[in-house]
Order: sequence, then C-alpha cells, then structure tokens
Amino acid sequence: MESFTPLTAAIGGSLIGLATAVLWLGNGRIAGISGIFGQLLPPAQTVLWRLVFLVAMVVSAFVVARLLPGIGMGGEVPATLVGAPPAWGVPTPVWLAIAGLLTGIGTKIGNGCTSGHGVCGLARLSRRSLVAVLVFFGVAMLTVAVTGVV
Amino acid sequence: MNSLKLPYLATAALSGALFGAGMYVSQMVDAQKVLRFLDITAMASGGWDPSLAFVIVPAILIMFAAVQFSRRRQQAPLFDKTFHEPEYDSIDRRLVAGAALFGIGWGMAGICPGPAISLIAFWPDELWIFLVTMLIGSYAGSLLVPSGHAMRLVDAK
Repeated sequence: MESFTPLTAAIGGSLIGLATAVLWLGNGRIAGISGIFGQLLPPAQTVLWRLVFLVAMVVSAFVVARLLPGIGMGGEVPATLVGAPPAWGVPTPVWLAIAGLLTGIGTKIGNGCTSGHGVCGLARLSRRSLVAVLVFFGVAMLTVAVTGVV
Repeated sequence: MNSLKLPYLATAALSGALFGAGMYVSQMVDAQKVLRFLDITAMASGGWDPSLAFVIVPAILIMFAAVQFSRRRQQAPLFDKTFHEPEYDSIDRRLVAGAALFGIGWGMAGICPGPAISLIAFWPDELWIFLVTMLIGSYAGSLLVPSGHAMRLVDAK
C-alpha cells in the first residue's frame, strides 16, 4: 500500500466535484468528459464551450503541476502511459490503440464515462448511471485481472 | 444563443480548470496508479491501492449537494434557460454494451477520457495514439447508434 495517497486523492476528488457542480449550477450541463469530447465531432451544435472547457482543463493541469510538483506524475515524476503486458506479445502502440478505440466507442454508445456516469450520474441518483458504473468498474477490474497489465 | 455569451463560457472555463487541477492532484493522470486500484486481485497481498475510491466519493458528494440545491432552489441554471438533465431513462443493451466496452479499454490502459485529455499537459510518449483512436471510436459509435439528445429521444419512442 506504499502508493496509497488518501489526502491528495480526496483533495483532487473535491476539485473534480466542484468542477461538476460549477458547470451544473452555472450552465445546467453535465461535466462528462467523454460527452464534451465526443460532441466536438459532427453533429456538433455547441462546440465553443466544449473547447473552452477542455483547453482550460489541460492548461490548469499544466499550471498546477508546476506550482505543486511534489504530488506525482506530471510534476516531478515524468508522465508515462502503461505498456502492453509482455506476455501478450502485442506492441504497446497497438495495445493503446485498441484501448482508445474501445474507450471512444464504449463511452459513445453507453453515453458516458467515469465523470458523466460515475460522478454526475450517481450524484443525480440515475439508475442508468448506476448500472453503467457497476458494469464498467466490474469489467475494468476483470480486464486487469485477465491481462495482468499491472 | 446563451452558450456563446461570456458568463457561460467563463463558467465552462472555471469548471474545466477545476477539473484539470483535480485530475493532477488526485493523480488520476497516473495510469499505473489507476490500474493498481482496479487490480483487486492484489488485495490479498497488500498491493491494492484504494486511492481512487477517495477521489470519486467526495466528488459525488459535492455534486450530490449541488444537484439537491438546484432541484430545491433553482428554476434554471445561472446562465441558461434550462438544466440539461438527461431524459433518456431506460436501461438498455446499448448502455450495458457501451459500458462493458469502455470497461475493457479502461482496464487495458488505465486512463479514462478525463485523464487522457488532461495528459496533453504532460504529453507522455504515445498519448496521441490513444487520443486519436478514442476520437475515431467515438465517431464510429455515433454512426452506429443515434447520437445527440433529440435523435436519442426520437429513437426511444
């Protein structure tokens, strides 16, 4: 459990909660990242605020990592993705491409990801989101167990 | 259009900035850390990292309070005419299949859409592959199933 970081996790989680609350009370929008990202593509009606949100998200991550570099990856720790598990004999770029395709298509068909269903949907007491969250957490845990990617 | 006015866009910028800060501070941008949460097989050996639970619970509680406040006190959000509450309510095969596909992708790479896009700030090797394929997957999904609020409601009838 050397990597367990409850304090920064809770502070970061609170910031995420505040972000979703601000967008909801201000603009009446669900801060679901897959939806904000996915609707940059046609059919796109309200692209500008989505772009503003995403650019602010990236810039803020950059700035905060420089102000508080000790927290971890992106600060003092150089950012890396995970590689494909060697036992599978799949090159990492292919592994990441498959994961990216599944994430894109799955969040589009299922209408949400960890933020839209996980944070906003559960907070709205949505039955749909509860089902989605149980399924994607369960399947992700199963996937990690099967692939041995950790 | 409300969504082109300055207060609306400033709200989107503030929300995005809080979200991006949360992605870094919580270390959701660390794929290995996220996978160590998802790796429940490591519970017995003590290698399991429960941090992610400490991220999502306060986030849900804060949003829950905001939703309760809006339902009791607000006719409309501050800068738009209505709350865009999802109206599509049935639990169907699309929802379950989509969540399952996403779960496989998340379990393979350890990054969901929020961290994946936030990682642009730190630009790790091969991130672009995940971002481009996520966009392609999202577009493919929108061709497979009716997409967009109006179309989904029509389809639901």
